[in-house]
Amino acid sequence: GGQGQDLGQGPGSARPQPLEPSLLRFLVCPLSKRPLRYEEATNELINEELGIAYPIIDGIPNMIPEAARTTQKKPPAEGSKQP
Amino acid sequence: ETHFGFQTVTEAERREKIYQVFESVAKKYDIMNDSMTLGIHRVWKDILMHKMNPSPGTLLLDVAGGTGDIAFRFINYVRSVRERQLQRKLKHHQNLSWQEISESYQEDKFKSLGDSQVVVCDINKEMLKVGKQKAQHLGYSEGLSWVLGNAEELPFDDDKFDVYTIAFGIRNVTRIDLALQEAYRVLKPGGRFLCLEFSHVSNPLLSRLYDLYSFQVIPVLGEVIAGDWKSYQYLVESIRRFPPQEELKAMIEDAGFLKVDYQNLNLGIVAIHSGFKL
Repeated sequence: GGQGQDLGQGPGSARPQPLEPSLLRFLVCPLSKRPLRYEEATNELINEELGIAYPIIDGIPNMIPEAARTTQKKPPAEGSKQP
Repeated sequence: ETHFGFQTVTEAERREKIYQVFESVAKKYDIMNDSMTLGIHRVWKDILMHKMNPSPGTLLLDVAGGTGDIAFRFINYVRSVRERQLQRKLKHHQNLSWQEISESYQEDKFKSLGDSQVVVCDINKEMLKVGKQKAQHLGYSEGLSWVLGNAEELPFDDDKFDVYTIAFGIRNVTRIDLALQEAYRVLKPGGRFLCLEFSHVSNPLLSRLYDLYSFQVIPVLGEVIAGDWKSYQYLVESIRRFPPQEELKAMIEDAGFLKVDYQNLNLGIVAIHSGFKL
């Protein structure tokens, strides 16, 4: 889905909202139901096994498989996928 | 092949159309609920909460919870239960010093929610956005979190929640059987499933009046208030397409729930279905 500027975050603005820590107790990959790793650098929840990453936008994890990106390729240099 | 209101569409089309409906109505969702139901939806949701009767420490998953109505009610409810618990405890401690009494009233001393938590899960970004803004506006933050997810494919681990609610949401799910299976999976053993949804009116006179109101008034309200006749036309049609009480009960039982029961509100305009994972 569309990320970005409509969330009131321009480029180089404040750090993205962190994930509510208690959520990590319950959240799993919707596809495999396996645990996820929170990657602070990109603000994503990573499923290492399947090689996919779910974005966290405005503090809300987007757990729709279609929205996830694959982690096999390197993320693009210019963030079209800015949190 | 499946249905979107009275139209026949593919499953993919249906999901897309429903997403667009809620994207379109999100900002006016609460106002429309009040207008269409003359505020009675608030009573229905209150009744759901009273039926749930959550105690402090309860973990609730509210699916299709969009704008937060159930979540906020849950927080209010466990807060007041907790306050009453603490007041009763204080009354029984006759030899507390003033110091001790005032300390126990300090907010940071007692956890006002007593470890209760609600996770709101919705598939629609716009609805969640509205919900989160409302929460900020009304001062809800403790014990509340938001997740973008699909009821048919929940991003939660097995056996985690005490209660699962879906209020006026299951009607918009394309594969209700999958949603029910997922509900069963994520509930703890002993956990409760609660569904609040529009249902079927068997009384012929009320049914006629209800049809009249639904098809003549609601889409017009939709156009006047939200500038969106089509979405509210969909809403009215989707209610007619949704399985009636007994059929939904059977579907819930198929997912593995036991002691499945339902309670009609307003002669069946709305029903609360309940089941347990035992």
